[in-house]
Amino acid sequence: MTLDSGELFPLDRALRGLRERFGDSVLDTDRVSLREQVVVVPAARLAEIVEAVTREWDGTLLTMFGLDERASAGRFRLHAMCSFAPQDAVLTFVASVPEQTPRYPSVAARVPAALWLEREMSDLLGVTPDGHPDPRPLIAHAGWPRHAHPQRRDFVASEDWSWAPRFEGPQVEGDGVFEILVGPIHSGVLEPAHLRLSSTGESVLQMDTRLGWSHRGLEPLAVGATITRGVELAERICGTCSFHHTLAYCGAIEELAGIQVPPRARAIRVLLAELERIVDHVGDLAGILESVAWMVGSAECLRIKECVQQTNDVLFGHRFLRGSCVPGGVTRDLEDTQQVWLRGVLADVRADVEHVRRMALGDPSVVDRFTGTGVLSLEAVLDLGATGAVARASGRDLDMRRHHPYALYRELDFGVITKSAGDVMARFELRADEIIESINLIDQLVHRLPGGPWAQHLGELPAGRWGFGLVESARGALSHWLHLGPDGRIADWRVRSASHALWPALAQCVPGSIVPDVPLIRSSFNLCHACCDK
Amino acid sequence: MWEVLQRPIQRGVLAGRASVSLPTGVAVAASDAAAAPEIMGEALRVEVHRLYRGSLKLRHVPAGSCNGCESELQALFSPFHDLQRYGVDIVASPRHADGLLVTGPVTRHLEEALRLTDEATPRPRLVIAVGDCACDGGFCRDSFAVNRGVSAVLPVDVRIPGCPPRPREIIDALLMALGRLSVRRGALGE
Repeated sequence: MTLDSGELFPLDRALRGLRERFGDSVLDTDRVSLREQVVVVPAARLAEIVEAVTREWDGTLLTMFGLDERASAGRFRLHAMCSFAPQDAVLTFVASVPEQTPRYPSVAARVPAALWLEREMSDLLGVTPDGHPDPRPLIAHAGWPRHAHPQRRDFVASEDWSWAPRFEGPQVEGDGVFEILVGPIHSGVLEPAHLRLSSTGESVLQMDTRLGWSHRGLEPLAVGATITRGVELAERICGTCSFHHTLAYCGAIEELAGIQVPPRARAIRVLLAELERIVDHVGDLAGILESVAWMVGSAECLRIKECVQQTNDVLFGHRFLRGSCVPGGVTRDLEDTQQVWLRGVLADVRADVEHVRRMALGDPSVVDRFTGTGVLSLEAVLDLGATGAVARASGRDLDMRRHHPYALYRELDFGVITKSAGDVMARFELRADEIIESINLIDQLVHRLPGGPWAQHLGELPAGRWGFGLVESARGALSHWLHLGPDGRIADWRVRSASHALWPALAQCVPGSIVPDVPLIRSSFNLCHACCDK
Repeated sequence: MWEVLQRPIQRGVLAGRASVSLPTGVAVAASDAAAAPEIMGEALRVEVHRLYRGSLKLRHVPAGSCNGCESELQALFSPFHDLQRYGVDIVASPRHADGLLVTGPVTRHLEEALRLTDEATPRPRLVIAVGDCACDGGFCRDSFAVNRGVSAVLPVDVRIPGCPPRPREIIDALLMALGRLSVRRGALGE
């Protein structure tokens, strides 16, 4: 296929490049769905291939994970999935790692986007990437036994192992270097994380992050669960991205079942997704303003957030929209009067957000704190595979709603907003703009919801298939990969949230700032912890 | 059929706008058992005044929750509910706290942090488990990586169920707990 200009589509260009340069390594190819192409490659060359795809052929590493197939095939299977936005295409590299020697050359050594993905895989599956630049555990704290890997099928948790945290990390030494330790329990109402800042006087030399505190073992917990139970788990991976996790999960199931949900359900899903985005973004604005002690604006944003959450509660019975989305559709319809009322509430929200933005940016002390603080370069964004609002504020034009459209986004008119500065100001303005864009999207739907049913039966689920759900949460690209066993129950489930790629990006843009700016930069990213810890 | 709830109208900080006011004829999905925040809040103020001389200070401990309960706790202290006006507040250190608000099923990784926080809290202290996970492990109680709720680690005084509990449900539960507390104190002759 070619574009109007005569150029090849990105995916076809990548496939041609693969055959030309790595021809002997392409063991097999298969088109598994409309958008997904699978290429089987040897694990020894996976790193080179992913490097070529991401650096030369415009691919973005979306997720990378491993599966335990020792019982059936005597191997571990690795999946590395790349997006080819703006084309709605996903290229999946599959590689085998033998059971006896579960090692392969690290992808992260060449592609920084795989840094945390491989650390997680090494902890949870016990497949070691050789030559990884930062081989410390990510999820497993030091007390875990060396051979405990929850994603392995034969994993049995032992009651007597030590879970006590110990911390090892890169140290900065020298005259006048201080270490500032934060967390895991913070002074405010926040999720747990342990941060280590090394500083000389006011300026920060390095920030190291330790997550994994909220690890609840959700992926192994889902093994053998019904898809209904899976909804319960997906909704509770993260409180703030609750609906988008469900949406990605349902997307994966619907893809493997080969159905498309009715238009009305898709429209209501867009509406719900945008409501969640508004809540998250308004909450982020509140956090950013609170970090510069501009409490009037922060209080106003929290009031707006409360308004929208109460609206969620009134219309869908839950302040975090849990229980509103299931595989096959949605659980609740929206009647005309409800839609009109919703539009009225959001008209107020629009005016209020504009008002706060005007007030905040009219204050020189706020502008001074925001401008030039915590600059994240576009280069770092591309290297680390960062997506979402943070990436767009650094100039990356990537939005899953536009580039891998799901629900009804293909038929709606909305802009993908980007900024170029990449500082706190850009992230603040971008979020405010996106709130307005979300309200525009909902306005397009009110009174124009397609008719018809709002849910449909899934039918018989094909056993042994996999599905991939990819959505744009308020934080960025969020994906669920799901594999059903022969009994129709979940056999494997791999979740990757946007924050996973953004934590390393945060660590990139903190050094060089002054200590009081660290909370500000952190809240301008506002990353989930529970999403990453799972 | 159509249920219309009277919602309290709270003035906005900047725009002076009402929070959410429902016109008649709009279907309301939420079940709203608890009374308006203001009414409960005033009652809370009386209890806090009686039992804690006007100031009940709590320390929040995240023990592996999904951020849903955290978000609702933040909402409790945001301008709409503003629990501070009734004498309840979150403090930065457990050493200043009268009690702990624990969210999450207590993941194994956070068990020690929770214990240490508890040890640092002066006695007597209240331990309040917020959310289904904190009550009994909730949806992930069968996982290898979690305890089955706070009571596996600490003695719990109050359990607030809900996934997550709405802010007004938390106020309601606090009120109920303080009522019981006064009964207990009365029984001990304090």
